[in-house]
Amino acid sequence: MGRLEGEEAPLGMTAAPAAAATAEDGGGGRSRSSRAAAAAARISPWLLGAALAALPLIGPGPNLIRLLFVTLVWVTASVAWNLLGGFGGQVSFGFAVFYGLGAYAAAVALNAGLDPVSSCLLAAGVATVASLAIGLPTFRLKGPYFAIATIGVSEAVRVVMTNVSATGGASGYRVMERGAFHQLQHFYSALGLAAGAVAISVLVRRSRLGLALVAVREDEDAAADLGVNPLRAKLLAHAIAAALTGAAGGLHARYAAYVNPQGEFAFAISVAILLMPIIGGVGTIWGPVIGACIYGLVHDEIIAAFPQLHLLIYGSLLIVIVLFEPAGIVGLLRRLVRAGDRRGRQGGRGGQEGQDGRGRAHAAAAP
Amino acid sequence: MSGADFLNLVIAALLLAGVYAAMAVGMTVIYGVMKIVNLAHAGFLMLGAYFVYELYERGGVDPLLGVVLAFPVFFLLGVGLHRTLIRRLPVSDQPTLASLLLLFGLWLVLQNLGYLIWGNADRAILTPRTLSVLRLGPITIPTVRLVVFAGAAAALAALELVLHRTWFGRAVRALMQNRDAGRLVGVDVEGTARVAFGVGIAFAGAAGGMLAMLYSFSPDFGSPFLLRAFVIIVLGGLESFAGVAAGALVLALLETFSIQVLPASYQPAIAFSLLVVALAVLPGGLAGLWAGLRAKRRRWA
Repeated sequence: MGRLEGEEAPLGMTAAPAAAATAEDGGGGRSRSSRAAAAAARISPWLLGAALAALPLIGPGPNLIRLLFVTLVWVTASVAWNLLGGFGGQVSFGFAVFYGLGAYAAAVALNAGLDPVSSCLLAAGVATVASLAIGLPTFRLKGPYFAIATIGVSEAVRVVMTNVSATGGASGYRVMERGAFHQLQHFYSALGLAAGAVAISVLVRRSRLGLALVAVREDEDAAADLGVNPLRAKLLAHAIAAALTGAAGGLHARYAAYVNPQGEFAFAISVAILLMPIIGGVGTIWGPVIGACIYGLVHDEIIAAFPQLHLLIYGSLLIVIVLFEPAGIVGLLRRLVRAGDRRGRQGGRGGQEGQDGRGRAHAAAAP
Repeated sequence: MSGADFLNLVIAALLLAGVYAAMAVGMTVIYGVMKIVNLAHAGFLMLGAYFVYELYERGGVDPLLGVVLAFPVFFLLGVGLHRTLIRRLPVSDQPTLASLLLLFGLWLVLQNLGYLIWGNADRAILTPRTLSVLRLGPITIPTVRLVVFAGAAAALAALELVLHRTWFGRAVRALMQNRDAGRLVGVDVEGTARVAFGVGIAFAGAAGGMLAMLYSFSPDFGSPFLLRAFVIIVLGGLESFAGVAAGALVLALLETFSIQVLPASYQPAIAFSLLVVALAVLPGGLAGLWAGLRAKRRRWA
């Protein structure tokens, strides 16, 4: 193994096997383990959301709340990246631009006396405009142009922000909000935004836009022949993703009460936003959430334990995932369920094994 | 600006363009043959810089000789990486998610290795040549820039010769034009890709060494040059070697003359703006513009 399957599919995932797998499971006998897994998969998001919403009732320390807040901000950005990168197959190395512009926009708006909700909306709006500025020239062309442009864009914006004196230049910009600091209010707004991002992700995946994006990812020319407007689909997904990421940046700026170019526009932010969905399972609904949870909870520990090595760890992780498990943790879980399934079937009806030869393709299926 | 100043700036831009072309050409070879955007290019530029630096500091090897030595060393490194990693990527006619992510991961690894080995202090290669200047009347040329330009031009000329006079060069050009047709007429796609990847990395390493003779460097050295290399190959139309030279010249001229009007700290933004303008106005690169102009003139004639 090691080679990616499916030449046309980035990271070897296609939508078709997903449908095939579902149909097959519905028609043939489902084993107990796969049924249990499916049920668990259906319930767990609600359980997770309810547990998070109820968590403050048991009174965890402010440190845990902070960690969860940051993780939820990451979840939003990770789900957002996946809309364009996962469904649409357009890799962006520059999501820090939206995160940073959102953070700065919210900071400026809050200082101007705007209420938190409006400043967050403004953050989303500014990021959306930026997404169009990047997307319009680069998405018109097929090929690597978009990915290439995104490499430089956060660098360029960081340089500009470092030199803009209105927002403090390199020394950063302080957010001064009147009123007391309610950590739980921040926590719930981040939870709400993350839940909203997941809901948008589900809606997009089921909509015409989602189908168009997957079609563009698989073969842009064929999609265009079938009446999909690739430019529109990519621009729209980019705009939605940017708005969510900008809002996430805005929330974090309000929480931290301080923004600076080296922090908000850091290359490390772009790397993180790209890494999370890939760890979890790019192109799936829950993969980016899982990846962001792991990253959010573990990142501080990794920095503390290996201050010199975290780039090396993340880089090697990327290489290993791309080469060996392109569908990330979700793919790994699916494969485990599949293996359990097969063992169950072998016990029950020995003969069924043969038709499962394409098991791996199914295991890596979306969503 | 006096005439002599203008001439000095033009010459400085020309000399810079030589290094830029050598830096970008490695990326073009890899993209042309394999349709892979080598995001790890920046990492190899950085490694090349430290390679030449270490040879000079420890062994007293002249930096120019170090650059020459970088070619075979980085070629072997590239071939090895192709055998272990790149070969496993799916074959495609356009850059895939997988190839971008793999090379991005490789870049992160190289950058971190750089920090581990050399720390984050800035280094520079200082030889007696570094500060000497050549004076021709009103024109002054830093010797080291001239030497580096000569090295870059020689390397590019050698590559041109290989591409047009050898079987490997023919295979490379065939695969750049049409991979399937190349395969049909018996080109060994994987073997050619392996050597092409090696050549691409060799040029990255050597160009890194050349840049190290001009600028100070740290393990983060490559990233501003990565964007510049991209801009150059996009201006060049992604797959044309003459285009690379033209693109390098445009970028070098723009950067050199912009110092007159823009603060130097805005330099990274220049490359990016040029990229956006190039994509919006001439998606086919300079070569496309040239072809378009010729077609128009023919229509008028």
